[in-house]
Amino acid sequence: MTDLMRLKEIINKIFLVEIFKGLSLTLKMLFSKSVTIQYPFEKRKVYEGFRGRHALVKDPFTEADKCIGCMRCTTVCPSRCIYIKREKRENKMIVIDYIIDASRCIYCAYCVEACPVCALVLTEEYEYSSYKREELIFNKEKLLKNWDEFIKKWKQDYYFNKFWQPPGIDPSRWPKTKREQKPISIREFIENRKENKDESDN
Amino acid sequence: MMETLSIIFITTVKTLIYFGILMLHVAYATYAERKIIAHIQLRLGPMVVGYHGILQPIADVVKLIFKEDIVPSNVDRRIFIIAPLISLTAALSTFAVIPVSDSWVISDIHVGILYVLGIAGIGIYGIIFAGWSSNSKYAFLGGLRSAAQMISYEVALAMSLVGVILMAESFNLTEIVKKQAEYPLGMFLFPQIIGYFVFIVAMLAETNRLPFDLPEAETELVAGYFVEYSGIRFALFYLAEYLAMFCMSSLATICFWGGWTIPPFLIKALPILEAIPGIVWFLLKVYFHMFLFFWLRGTLPRYRYDQLMAIGWKVLIPLALLNIIVTSIFKYYS
Repeated sequence: MTDLMRLKEIINKIFLVEIFKGLSLTLKMLFSKSVTIQYPFEKRKVYEGFRGRHALVKDPFTEADKCIGCMRCTTVCPSRCIYIKREKRENKMIVIDYIIDASRCIYCAYCVEACPVCALVLTEEYEYSSYKREELIFNKEKLLKNWDEFIKKWKQDYYFNKFWQPPGIDPSRWPKTKREQKPISIREFIENRKENKDESDN
Repeated sequence: MMETLSIIFITTVKTLIYFGILMLHVAYATYAERKIIAHIQLRLGPMVVGYHGILQPIADVVKLIFKEDIVPSNVDRRIFIIAPLISLTAALSTFAVIPVSDSWVISDIHVGILYVLGIAGIGIYGIIFAGWSSNSKYAFLGGLRSAAQMISYEVALAMSLVGVILMAESFNLTEIVKKQAEYPLGMFLFPQIIGYFVFIVAMLAETNRLPFDLPEAETELVAGYFVEYSGIRFALFYLAEYLAMFCMSSLATICFWGGWTIPPFLIKALPILEAIPGIVWFLLKVYFHMFLFFWLRGTLPRYRYDQLMAIGWKVLIPLALLNIIVTSIFKYYS
């Protein structure tokens, strides 16, 4: 048996069986479809839960952000890149500015999970590199603009981010606003705004 | 007097045509290599310049010409500048005797094979000069390796062709092709299969291609003997390498695959094939060998240096000798 195996081995060596096997494999690969995605010309499908550019969710009707200035996101942020300027006026907290330093952000989405009113979202935009650092520091105005740009590309009528919900915690312990979170209507809102604009133009 | 002038004129024109076609072939060999290797690795290769990157080699040439020609301050300047020219001249000169078709050869000399082997050997000087004059350890090691490798494989390469010479009874490349048509299968590939195998392996080593590309092993030597070169001088080395590949492919085609002829049994089966000009068959066979270079590059990993030397001296040379003995015996008794 061992002699036979050795004979087989020697024959394999003389006739370069392994090299021919390799050659046939590479020839097969030569005619199979390549897996390259030609990035700037064609883009990959973005999967659900993709964590891209930050945006502050706009209320569909008041067109204002939902942030209540509770500071939970700044507290939970591991890289400390969220800054909130707020002021107490007439027993009510008013958020003056909301700044995210995207160049320091690690895209963990803890802020999205921690937010009790679902005011913040990581959108599916990922092409926002810049030559200037200042352009990567998003203030409130820019974050609201990011939201507008995001919903412009959004194809469905509603937007609901299930990654808003903190995993591993019983839903009964979530804040009430989070538990009763409803999908944000988008198409309706855009059409609404168009009509309003037309009216105001007239 | 007029006759001499006309011969000079015709040779010059032929050389210019040959040169132009060769340059185009070399440019597109780089493109073909990149594409084939890419598709073997399930990539796409150059895609942006022109349709499927078809203008990529032209863009590369333009880039290399306009790049700064850097000569490092510690090199031996004169030899550093001459070295790529030696390589290129040697590689180009070999094509003077290579017949493309029945009547198309620049110089039909009687010692064609010896001329090709000798001139190809001169190309080693360019590599040694480049490696030594660069005054860099990578270039030096690459040059030394290259010299050792090419000298040891030159023996096997020449010996593998002895069988062909014995069968054809001539050193003239045109004669060798014509002689093959007299054999029943129309090529020396089948009676000289051992010789062909030795030739293919020695050919890979002789042109410093994978799996024997130790002189330019990226992981150890960065780029080997041409590390210090840049711009157009770097391109000249590349040109010489691809020209050597084409030269070896043509030699394999002429000596083993019957050059521009096709086997007689094929003509008998399909008489239409005779209408196709011989140069088409010649080019197809050369392209197959070029494809073989790329295919092997995409398949095999690099050998270790001692393995390389062992294959050369302990396997290929004895095999070539055996081939010579067997061929001589058959020749003697027939």
